[in-house]
Formats: sequence, C-alpha cells, structure tokens
Amino acid sequence: MRVDLMHLLQRFALIVVGCLAFTGVRAQELLPPETEVASAVDHYITEKLQSRSIEPGPAADDATVLRRTMLDLAGRVPTAREHQWFFDQPETVRRDVLVDRLMQSSDFDFHLRNSLDELLLANRPHDGEFREYLLWAVRQKRPWDQMFRDMLAARQADGVEKGAAQFVSSRVRNLDDLTNDTAMLFFGVNVSCAKCHDHPLVEAWKQDHFYGMQAFFQRTFITRKNVIAEKPFGEVKFKTTKGEEKSATLMFLNGSVAEDKTPSFADDERKQLEQQIQKLERDEKAGYVISASFSPRRELSELAIRDDKERFLAKNIVNRTWLRLMGLGLVDPPDQLHEANPASHPQLLDWLTRDFVASGYDLRRLIRGITLSQAYARSSEWAVDETPPAASTYAFASTKSLTPRQMAASLLVVIRSPDNWPALEDSVAWNKLRNDLENQAAGWSREFEQPGENFQIAVDEALFFSNNDRITNDLLRDGGDRIVGKLKSIEENSQAVEQLWVTVLNRKPSDQELQTATAWMQRENTDRVESLRSLTWALLAGPELRFNH
Amino acid sequence: MASNISGLGPQENGLSRRRFLSAAAAGVTAGSVADMTAIHGLRSEAMASELKKQNKRVILLWLAGGASQFETWDPKPGAKTGGPFRAIPTNVTGIHISELLPELAQRMQHTAIIRSLNTKIADHGTGADLMECGRVPDPGVKYPDIGAVVARELGRLESKVPDYVSLYTSTEGRRKGTSGFLGARYSPMFLSESMTPANVVRPDIISEIDHHDRAALRDVLAKRFTTARRNQAVNSHMSAYQRVHGLMASADLFDIEREPESVRNRYGSSQFAQQCLIARRLVEADVPFVKVARAWWDSHGQNFETHQELCADLDHSMSVLLDDLAERGLLEHTLVITLGEFGRTPNINASLGRDHFASAWSCSLSGAGIRGGVAYGKTDDEGHRVVEGEASAGDLFATILAALGIDHQHEYMLGSRPIPLADFGTNPIREVLA
Repeated sequence: MRVDLMHLLQRFALIVVGCLAFTGVRAQELLPPETEVASAVDHYITEKLQSRSIEPGPAADDATVLRRTMLDLAGRVPTAREHQWFFDQPETVRRDVLVDRLMQSSDFDFHLRNSLDELLLANRPHDGEFREYLLWAVRQKRPWDQMFRDMLAARQADGVEKGAAQFVSSRVRNLDDLTNDTAMLFFGVNVSCAKCHDHPLVEAWKQDHFYGMQAFFQRTFITRKNVIAEKPFGEVKFKTTKGEEKSATLMFLNGSVAEDKTPSFADDERKQLEQQIQKLERDEKAGYVISASFSPRRELSELAIRDDKERFLAKNIVNRTWLRLMGLGLVDPPDQLHEANPASHPQLLDWLTRDFVASGYDLRRLIRGITLSQAYARSSEWAVDETPPAASTYAFASTKSLTPRQMAASLLVVIRSPDNWPALEDSVAWNKLRNDLENQAAGWSREFEQPGENFQIAVDEALFFSNNDRITNDLLRDGGDRIVGKLKSIEENSQAVEQLWVTVLNRKPSDQELQTATAWMQRENTDRVESLRSLTWALLAGPELRFNH
Repeated sequence: MASNISGLGPQENGLSRRRFLSAAAAGVTAGSVADMTAIHGLRSEAMASELKKQNKRVILLWLAGGASQFETWDPKPGAKTGGPFRAIPTNVTGIHISELLPELAQRMQHTAIIRSLNTKIADHGTGADLMECGRVPDPGVKYPDIGAVVARELGRLESKVPDYVSLYTSTEGRRKGTSGFLGARYSPMFLSESMTPANVVRPDIISEIDHHDRAALRDVLAKRFTTARRNQAVNSHMSAYQRVHGLMASADLFDIEREPESVRNRYGSSQFAQQCLIARRLVEADVPFVKVARAWWDSHGQNFETHQELCADLDHSMSVLLDDLAERGLLEHTLVITLGEFGRTPNINASLGRDHFASAWSCSLSGAGIRGGVAYGKTDDEGHRVVEGEASAGDLFATILAALGIDHQHEYMLGSRPIPLADFGTNPIREVLA
C-alpha cells in the first residue's frame, strides 16, 4: 500500500515537472490575456524585426488595404460604391469601421464558409450539404471546437447539421485518408511518414502515433444508405519495423490514451454482428441499426478538445487562419506542427492560441484581430534592387493568389457597370445580389485552380482568358450593365481610363499608365469600343487583379 | 500627349506601334520564366541540357479498363485458362503472342514484352494511380504521374509546344492525369471534349493583329505590378501568358487534315488510330509526352468478343504508329508504352469474362532505349503467378525512366522529405534496356 502510494506520488511529481517544462515557463512570459489581439500581433512581430534590425516595409495605402481586407473578409474586391464609402469615413477609424461592417455582412459568412470548405473538403466530390452546414455554422457563430465535434461525430441528423458528416463520409472508404486528413486538417500534423517507420525527423512521433490515430477510425464504416456508423468492436494491428506485430492503442498525438471500453462479445454474438454489418454495407433495405456503446471517434474529439498541453486543435486553426490572411503560416508548412519545425514567432502562436481557447474557439475574434494589425496592412512591394527580408519576418505583406471563388466573384464584380449597384443602405437588394453573385461565381470558379504549396498558374487559365467566348461575349459585353458599356458612355478617354482603373484595380492610374492607355485609345483606324474592350481585357488578364497584394 | 511616349507617336503606323508594344513586353518578361528552384534537387543546367539534347519523347498507349494478357502478350493456348485463341510465332524466334495481334507479331524487333508484372492492386482507380505514378498513393503527398515527370525532366521551360498532352476517349477512362507536387506548369493539356484542345483558337470577333496587340498591352501594363514582387505564382502567371501564342500556333498539330491523304488512310478511321496519328504529329514537333487512351477493356463479360474487337484496333493502330515513327527516324527517340491499370484473371467466369487481375500480367515497351525482340519474365503454365522476373509498378516506372536516360534514383526534395523519381527500392529491368 505504502509502496503504491509512493510510486503514485513520484509519478505525479514527474508529470507536474514535465508540464511546467513544457508550458508553464513559456506561459508566464506571454503578454497579458487582456491585450488587444491586434496589439499582441504587432508586439511580437515588431519584437522580432527589431531583434534582427530589420526595418519593415511601409504601410500600404488605404485603397490597397481596402482591397486586401475586402478579399480576405468578403471574398471579393470592393465595388465603386464601397470604395467611395470607405474614403468618406474619417481617416483614423476607416479600417476599424470597415472590418466591423464587413464582419456583419453576408459576404463574410459566404467567404468564411468557402474558406473552410476549401480547407476541409477541397477537391473531393461532395454535394451541397457540407457547404450548407458550414454556412449555417458560420452564420450562428458556432465555435470551432463545436464544429470539429459535429464533423467527427458525423451524426445522422434531420436538419442542416447532417451535412457535417461529409468530412468523414467523403473519406470513409480509405482509412489512411481519413486518419491522415483528420490529423493534418484539424491538428496540423502529417503523420503519414510514421506509417511505415517512426518519423525520421520528429523523435516524438512513432508508428504508435499513426496507428493510434488510425485506431480511432478503424471501426467507422458507411452503410449502403450512406449513414456513417461504427462497429461495436475491431482493432488496428500493425507490424513494427522490427517485424513484431502490435495492437494499436487509442492514442492521441499528444500521447494521451483513451480507455478502451469495448464490451466483450461472445463468439457467436460477434459473428452475428459481423454478418449484420456486412449486410448494412451492402443492402439498402437492411433494417436494423448497429449502435456501438463505445465510440472511438467520440473519444478522439474529447481527447483533442481536452488537450491543454499541445492544444493541437486550437493551434492548427489559429495557424491556418494566420496563413490564409498573412500568406505564410507561423508554422510552415502548416501540417508540420512539431518541435523539429518551430514557429517563426512561437510566443505569438502561443498567445493567439491561448486567446482563441479563452474566447471559446471564436474564429471571428481571431480574424478581426489579425486583419486590424499593422503587420497585416504593410505594403506588399519591395524595392527592386534590395534583397527582401525573409517572408517569415512579415516585414512586408505577401502577395497571395486568389482562390477560385475569390477570383470568380471579383471578376463578376469588376465587369459590372459601377452604376449598376444598389445603394449601400439597401441591404435587402444587396443580400439578394450577393446571393446571385455567390451562385454565379460557383460556375466561373471552375476555370481556376485552388492555390497550394508551390502554386503555379496553369497555361489553361491564360488560354481561357485569351480565347474563350465567355470572356468576350459575356464579361466584355458593351451593354449598359457592363463596365465596357459604361466606359463607352464616357466621352473623354482619360476619364474612361480612370473609371476603368478604379473599377477593376480599385485605384487611380499612374501618369504612365494613363499615357499608355490613352495612347492605346488613340491608335488610328481602330474602333473605340473595341479599343475599350481590349484595354479592359488587358486588366482582367493582368496580375494585379489575379492576386491579393 | 501620346507622342510623349517614345516610339508610340500617333503619326506612326500600326505595325511600328505593335513593335513598340512587343519590344516593351519582351523587356518586361525577360527572366520571368517559371522558377522551379522551389522544388529542390533541380538538375544542374549542364546535365539538364545534355539530357534534353537527346530529345527523347514518349507515347503512352493507355489500355483503360485493363487488357487481358492472355489475349495479347502472354497467350496460354491449350491451358484451361487459355481461352479459344491461338498463339502465333513472331518475327523474333522463340517469341509467341496472341493471334489477335498479327501485325504487331511482325514488328517484334522494336518491342520488349514484360510478362511478369505483379502490381497487386486490382481496383480501377487505385490501380491506375499506381501504374501512372509508379507507387501506391500516399495521403500526405500528391505524386506526379509519369507524364508530368517526363514533361519536367525532358521538356523545355521556354517550349512553344505543350509538353504533356492527354487525348480523350469517348467512353470511360477519362483520367485527367496529375502533375502533383510538380505544379500546374506540368499539368497535362487535357482534351476532354474534342480532338482539338480547348481555347487554342482565336475567337472570330478579334483579328489576329489585335489579339497580339492586346497581349502586348497586357504585358506592358503588368510591369508595374510584377517588378516589385518576386513571387513564384506571379512569375507563373506571366509565363502562362507568354506561352499562349505558341500553343495557339500548335493547334494545327491536332489537325490531321494537314496530313497527306495517304497517311490518313494508312492510319484509318478509328478514333484511336487518328489519335495515334495526332500523337505522332505531336512528338514530331517535340512534345515530350503524349497519352492516348483506348477504352474500355474491362471485359467481365464476353471477354473474347471484346478482345477480338479491341485487339484489332490496337494491333493496327500501334503497328502503323511504329512503322510511321521508324520511317521518320523518330522511333529511336520515341518510347512507346502500351499499358493499362492491370491485366485479367486466368479464370474465365460464367459470363465468359475475365475479371480484374494484378498478380501476373503484361505490358510492352517499344522504341527509344529499349532492346527490341525480348520477352522478359514468365508466368506459370496457367498464368496464375509470376515464376520468373517479377516486376512491380515501381520497377516498371524505373525502367521507363532508364530507357529515357533519366536517373530513376534522382530525388525531388519536398520540404525536408526526399522523393526519388521512382519509388525507394525499385530497379530498372536491365534485360529490356538497349
């Protein structure tokens, strides 16, 4: 008895020391929790720049910040009316007013939904239910841990919530995909390396981690009626590199293990259940339901949410949100969240993670904080003759490729006549229009590729802009509702050019651009409308519209 | 006002205006060719150019759905699994193939048969992934397929022609192909709707001069944005637009009406044959990789009728292609791969069909880098198992690369992870290499 107690005390002491070593000391050094998110961001970014004697780039001008913020929060470039509205605001509060206005708009919900969809189900066939679920969750400001729980639970619900099941159902036929995608997309950890051998770079990751993750999903199956279910038993066995056979425990990435509460089954009972499961998988009419009393997937979501050591769940989405807004993750690449690949600003990541958890996993607060920082609003240009500092210093803003939906929605915004927008106050008209825009953008977005690591723009896109009928006959029509029609009605070429630049690029043309463009308009023997059309084309096909800068 | 711009005075004629724009555009874009150094392990320039000088090309004849080895390269006449067809001798002593391929039998000097593939995966999707990428899909990495690897290793960045073309089939088997982590620069030009690629023909509404002028204007206006940004994606956007007119000019390569009637007649009217002719036109114009898919070999029922029909098309089309390439001196530079995702079962099912089978099946390699007149590997008397020279998908991948003079062990670095061109532990089959 005494010995046992001593043993327990010793173990407890070890655990305490271990925790202190890992989080305790660092936590004390963090800025106080009541710091504004944006201030915390700038504090840590500036601290590192100063420690390396790097002078950050200048702030971007207001028109650029407007465009950038609109693309990141509303998923599209501003209209001429929004442009006007923004510059009507007092200079000192413009950005705050803009961010708060956008975060209440339907634009924000659509765009956050699209961003989460791209992250979680990119390139996988799925019907609209998942997107409906995401939109519903975003609209009701559902906390991220709750959304994670919805998606892993994959419940067969009646309402819109059932769409959440598609994260699992789209991967259920491939256990490796289900395991690794969950680890990468929710926890920022790519464990696939540890499938065949212990991870070569990360000492802490063993085959046990990969198969431990897999064990949470091994019992998951899909019935013929497309319902996600769990078998009441089943385990993962694997061969170690030394050739010994091992059974995987239900182990989360931080090493915590869920107690296996699988009831024991008599052999014939087990056999009967197996037959029923087979029938469920094959036969649409199989009437019974298997409901396992012990759900490994539920254990995984609980372990991940309870994880106050590594906070994989929170840290991953903080890092991925940062990556989306700032163009480069604090941890890069975003699926290598481990000690061998430290964050560029470890304390900032810790601070943001702590704040995110304390706020109740509130994505909006995080997004708002980052977009209001000074670091977010720097210029993305760097003088040609100087070597720019590493992107991971955030000394200048990154140039981000638009996502297919951002590009499609932006194209559809800029080709409209600037007169053709409802008044800003008319929220009913705007919401209807924004809905239509979202639907139209879905079709156009297929012409563009989702940016990822080492992203390159394919020649298909350049060919599409150069030769596709829809560009000429639809986007570049000269009807009164289109930009070319509007330009046609402006008599003075220089004014038409200015209108074009403000509409498509959200800024006034430089003197040199004005000269080039008006010279283009004055070519001999050319039709004025055709010249306007090709000038507009040159901007639609240009890089300035294609990137968020 | 316009006369302030040097060379762009209103008094000048249209031609010199264009010259101004083109010259300005050329200045803008020098050095903006896609920078691929982000994928580490870029070959040294000297080595790359040395390789590319050899001008190797590939035509992949993809037998979508999985052709039967019994009715093609590995007949077993008389065995209970052998089916009704005979084996016939070829022009290479000792090598017999199915009587369904009589024309190819007379051209075995160009071809090496591999009869000992054991690739284990007998599911269409994953099997095709395996055979196209030479390795089992890995959830963490998007691997490039053979076309993208060849495009990257043998293509030229500044090339005016496409470097990976994938021709469609009207039935199933519309797999687009993937450049994986090599990026969109090496994605296939995928012909999904017709024999001509999408968007390579100028719309009637705009004249050729205006089409060029407009592109030059675009490049001039882009300069302000691109000069202050060193960014791979921005560069790729610029180089994509630079390739537009080259690719438009290559649209003619897809037009077989430009071939003499005698050549067209020789190929004949089947879609597969016509696409083989397009493939020849493409490799002749230095396109490094062309995939022509012929579907649908998935003969779960009526295997023998299906193969009678499809083998006739394969036999004729591939034979004409080999002859045509050889006569033009192209065959020594062009590797023709004939492959599907798997073979078919020895057992003949109740519908007189053969099912999916990946444990003992065949493919063939002809032309560049290949020792012709070889039948490599052996299956047992009934074709159930490989008994000699077992080869995996990775070994085949390594063999293809070796035939093209590409080091199969060369590694791409994906972050800190080394990825060899052919999977770890795979080896080229030396016996089929020249």
